[in-house]
Amino acid sequence: MDSLFGIPLTSILFGLLILLALSLSVVGWVALRQPILFRMGIRNLGRRRAQTTLIVVGLTLSTLIISAAFTTGDTVGYSITSGVYDTFERVDIAVAHDPALAREGSPHYLTDDFLAELRGEFATDPDVDAIAGIFSRDLPVLNVGERLSEPSAAVVGVDPATIDALGSLRDLDGESVSAGALGGNRVFISRQLAEEINAVAGSSLQLFAGNEPRGVEVIEVVEDSSLTGSGILLGGGGLVGHIDAVRELDGEPEELTLILISARGGARDSLDAASAVQDRLEDYFESAGAPAEVAFTKAEAVAAAELIGSVFVTFFLLFGLFSIAAGVMLIFLIFVMLAAERRSEMGMARAIGMRRLHLTEMFLAEGSGYNLAAAVIGALLGVAVAFAITWLVGIAFADFNLAIIFHVNPQGFVIAFSLGIVLTFATIAFSSLRAANLNIVRAIRDLPEPEPLRGADRSLRGLGRAAVGALWVLAWVALVGLWAAAAFGAFLIGLATYGLGLLVLLLGAALFVFGARSVPAGRFVPREGWRPWLLWALWLVTFSLLALATLLLRRTRGWASRHRNAGGWALWMLIVGAVGLWLGGWVWGQAAPYAGGLTLVVLAAAMLAVYFGTATRLAFTTAAGLLLVFWLTPLPFSLIWDVTGDDTDPVRLIARLLPLVPEPLEIAGNVEMFFVSGMAITVSSTLLVIFNAHLLLTGVRSAGGLLRGIAPAAKMAVSYPLAARFRTGMTLAMFVLIVFSLVVMATLNYNFSQLFFSSDAKAGFDVVVDGNPSNPVGDLRSALGASGLRDGELAGVGRTRALFLRATEEGPAAATEAADFYRLVEADREFLEVAEIPLASRARGYDSDASVFEALLRDPGVAIADDAILGTEGFGPGGQLFSLSTALAASIRSGEPYEPVRVTVADPESGNARELLIIGFMEAQVSGILTQLTGIFVHGAEIEGLSSDGRIPETFFVQAAGTPSTGELEALADRIESALLERGVQASAIQTLIDDQARASTQFQLLFEGFMGLGLIVGIAALGVIAFRTVVERRQQIGMLRALGYTRRLVALSFFMESSFIALTGIVLGLALGTALSYNLLTDPAFTEGTEIAFRFPWVRILLISGIAYGASALMTLAPARAASRVPVAEALRYA
Amino acid sequence: MAEPIIEVEGLAKAYVNGDVRTHALRGVDLRVERGEMLAVMGPSGCGKTTLLNCLAGIDDPSEGVVRIAGTDLATLDDDTRTAYRAREMGFIFQFYNLLPVLSAAENVELPLLISGTAADESRERALASLGRVGLAEWQAHRPAQLSGGQRQRVTIARALVNDPAIVWADEPTGDLDTANANEIMSLMQELNRERHQTFVIVTHDPEIAARCHRTIHMQDGLIRSEETRVAAAVDG
Repeated sequence: MDSLFGIPLTSILFGLLILLALSLSVVGWVALRQPILFRMGIRNLGRRRAQTTLIVVGLTLSTLIISAAFTTGDTVGYSITSGVYDTFERVDIAVAHDPALAREGSPHYLTDDFLAELRGEFATDPDVDAIAGIFSRDLPVLNVGERLSEPSAAVVGVDPATIDALGSLRDLDGESVSAGALGGNRVFISRQLAEEINAVAGSSLQLFAGNEPRGVEVIEVVEDSSLTGSGILLGGGGLVGHIDAVRELDGEPEELTLILISARGGARDSLDAASAVQDRLEDYFESAGAPAEVAFTKAEAVAAAELIGSVFVTFFLLFGLFSIAAGVMLIFLIFVMLAAERRSEMGMARAIGMRRLHLTEMFLAEGSGYNLAAAVIGALLGVAVAFAITWLVGIAFADFNLAIIFHVNPQGFVIAFSLGIVLTFATIAFSSLRAANLNIVRAIRDLPEPEPLRGADRSLRGLGRAAVGALWVLAWVALVGLWAAAAFGAFLIGLATYGLGLLVLLLGAALFVFGARSVPAGRFVPREGWRPWLLWALWLVTFSLLALATLLLRRTRGWASRHRNAGGWALWMLIVGAVGLWLGGWVWGQAAPYAGGLTLVVLAAAMLAVYFGTATRLAFTTAAGLLLVFWLTPLPFSLIWDVTGDDTDPVRLIARLLPLVPEPLEIAGNVEMFFVSGMAITVSSTLLVIFNAHLLLTGVRSAGGLLRGIAPAAKMAVSYPLAARFRTGMTLAMFVLIVFSLVVMATLNYNFSQLFFSSDAKAGFDVVVDGNPSNPVGDLRSALGASGLRDGELAGVGRTRALFLRATEEGPAAATEAADFYRLVEADREFLEVAEIPLASRARGYDSDASVFEALLRDPGVAIADDAILGTEGFGPGGQLFSLSTALAASIRSGEPYEPVRVTVADPESGNARELLIIGFMEAQVSGILTQLTGIFVHGAEIEGLSSDGRIPETFFVQAAGTPSTGELEALADRIESALLERGVQASAIQTLIDDQARASTQFQLLFEGFMGLGLIVGIAALGVIAFRTVVERRQQIGMLRALGYTRRLVALSFFMESSFIALTGIVLGLALGTALSYNLLTDPAFTEGTEIAFRFPWVRILLISGIAYGASALMTLAPARAASRVPVAEALRYA
Repeated sequence: MAEPIIEVEGLAKAYVNGDVRTHALRGVDLRVERGEMLAVMGPSGCGKTTLLNCLAGIDDPSEGVVRIAGTDLATLDDDTRTAYRAREMGFIFQFYNLLPVLSAAENVELPLLISGTAADESRERALASLGRVGLAEWQAHRPAQLSGGQRQRVTIARALVNDPAIVWADEPTGDLDTANANEIMSLMQELNRERHQTFVIVTHDPEIAARCHRTIHMQDGLIRSEETRVAAAVDG
């Protein structure tokens, strides 16, 4: 994997290393300049070991998530890439016939003449090692002696005169095998096929082509490769024979399927040369007017493999964002609590002359201790987690012939390590600055700090000053960044102009270590002339400006510090939110800044209302309530999936009521809205609960009679968390965030699984039978009858034949260049009569699904199509397949009757075309499992005229008589396959296919959910930290309670219930909100792309998630609860 | 002779910290009668608070016997002793030791709730107790919103809410100014007179001690002297 989010990994790494260096330099500076502070900070690490351990555990999580995401992506990408190299070996480019460029009357395949022409053209090309042609067919193979068969094995014909140069045929010891021995009926067999049908050198096999048997003899077992039709994403291997012999089976005398080209170099180092060869090939095809095209290349496959790796990283990072966010909250919470614990110490320190910066430095030193330990452990644990994940991925990928090779890319590892440190450092720096900002007297006497939003000066002028004060901080941070950039710039200029000795050596070594191999050598600025001077002059100007800005900021620091308050930050929040809202709604049409901006505006308005005197509870309850209504009505979620707003959008409504304000654009969103909505809902619900949870106390009092013995514990369990709003809110938010994300993920997965793995995917049939074009069956009943299978077992047998044709949408809205390939399926009468295919939408004039099918049987000019032709929105497979124009697809997805859609399908080679009217579209779930059910379905259209070679693959759909079990259906499929062994048909019980896919899908879902569930560790660690902290803080109170008559058990119970209160509130909130969001999404046609989903609640998974979350929290609280119950009373009362 | 409510024989307590063994009490013998107000005085570190803690059953003596109303505390397990405290004892501390997250009324009703009294009755008695110490209108305030004197009154209200036989007070006026200290002491005397409850008060202040029926002087973990006053003079 070389890039992430389109940014080269080397650049990400380089940027992070600079930030890492900056962070470590700050700590180093503290250690050198203020060794006493550094020592104090570091010694704090050992004060409370259990707490330190918990803090490190909590801090590891962000790094762990990032490290696991990178390593998983690396491993998957590397495994697929290795699979590609092993499969392709030295083949770099495959050339195929291009029907679109074929001249009239010319053959519909590549020929030996063309191969000879090509070889001649590239004979002297230094980048070309070998060119060879092959002819292949998939045919049934039977090992006569063992009575074992493979219904569809690749039979590849090669020319011994040319194929050896490719070096792709190797024996089981890895030695090259010459194709010279091939000829007549002598064949090589691939290792995989040999194992399947128990064949060895000397075995006699039978191939079936044109419904005739043909005997061959195995002369050697060879390694699997692309040439034997085996390898990643290919089949299960095959036979290699002499090209003339294979053509004789089922082909034309001159026919070639592919021309394979090997570029200069070995299997893994030929990509650059291959790219040059590909360019020259395409130029040649164009200039010569050859009916050929580059069908695929090794480079494309490698790029695709790396893309898949990158997609894995992106997905895991994206789904890990919730955990990372919770991790950042935990870091912040921990440091705020540490500051609270040492408030009195810090007050004393300030009183005897320590400056605020000193306190910040002390915290930074301590934080760096946790940070470094956590980053190392996190990065290593991430690798271990990735190992587990990729092991599971390996199981899920088992059907794709992919061997998972665990691989750790040092770049990814260092990125995770650096990002973890930088992220933690930034959070620690922020919380340390906040902690150091204390009032000495209040700190020493442990008096509460005033509410930050309650400024003494509530005038607009005061607010303006506060905003300028806040801006000062931002300017200072920016200045530090600019200094760092300027220093780095000076380093680069020095490198470019002079210091090309040691500097290059250092930089080169660093780049080499981290994999950057493309140092822009030779592009440095020459030392002579005016350019170096200009560079230095520019740098000097920059330096002077920075120095000036620094001076200015230093001089205004006192003023800014005096006037800065939370109101100023609220004003900036309002401005940032408004800008986001405007950009998202009126400029970009993007949901994340639009809905996120609106959320910030509402929260900032509440903060400003408090600033100007409104009661805190009133302001935040109102804001949180409004935001929850905004986020939990369908509106914001419909934004995710590109739906024009209606009156449920408050901003749009305001714009309509105030004609001066133009309405926002159509808003589109994507998967990032998952995170944005999660954060917004979490913040709103937490605020609502925290500011209104006193109502719970009333409940506890009312329930006092019921609770009796534990009433005092229950009261304490609610009172303490409510009195510490900040820490309770933060912990609650962590739980809500993680449980919310897990519930949404689990509910969406479950409902989509229920939909796509439902009986609709069977379309009313039980067994699907794919025919072999070389041995057409025609009438399945007769063929099976001849083989002895009782007709009574088959209640219905439908037959379809399919062709890939160029399709074009007709009509005014159609895009001019929208022609692409799509599947045209001719279905016979029985198929259409037996099939149970629900339609998602019908054309005007058809008031029921039955009327559509009747029209289909009557009129060869009408058709129905699967859901994929409407295209996919958001992310997902789009690819090269034909799809209808977006506007048309959207109107069809709305479910309303539409005007019949006119499409033309044409054979690109012959130009034969047919115009069709699509009068119905299937529900998405119909074609979710069986690809044989995708396409434009017609009846009686005589599609032979649209096929240039007359080879039309057929598929049979069998409905079994009675109500057989899945096992009986599997047995029926096996009987059909063995009865028609010579025809090479492949039969499968559809329910088994559904079950297999459901199993693989569930494995992936659980994998993602498990990964997201790692975030729970954060919430649980937070509870643990708080619980341990609380025992220390409340030692004297515990003593007093024990003196008053609290038993040990009651003290422990009180602590246990307190943690449980937070955990359960978080879990219940996350559950409720996640379910509400999932319900909104699943009942929104824009999200489900028109598919109606009957919402189902995944009880088992949700109970499991809740159980694990609560169980782990409870376990974590046991130790501190026990410690609290064992506090010695007399000592506690005497020494707080 | 009146019935003793507290009987102490040969009470010793040693704290061990690493290799260092500190003898806080070295063999104290003491009898306190029901309804008596006893002051314990002595220099810092003489063992006053340790004595009080051992008598109240919140610390375990190293040697000796403590009998409260005839029951040897050593024979009670932790839970029974705790339940006994909740029922029969009240505590007043120098630094109030109120729970900051609870209101005055909630702090006062806590011992009742612990003893299993119904919520409504607990609240009623808590309000009555607060009224008795003159804080009825402050019942909804949290400790942070009260003055030092008011906090100590809440502590007294809490100590008395379950009508205990014995009230232990550890420097009850130590954190208060003279006016507030006098008020608190008067309040305790009043309650002692009205309810005939036993008060054991640890104090540094001779004026506080002078208002008790009897004063014992401790030094180095032993009772060195004792002075008794005429009840009428004390109550005067």
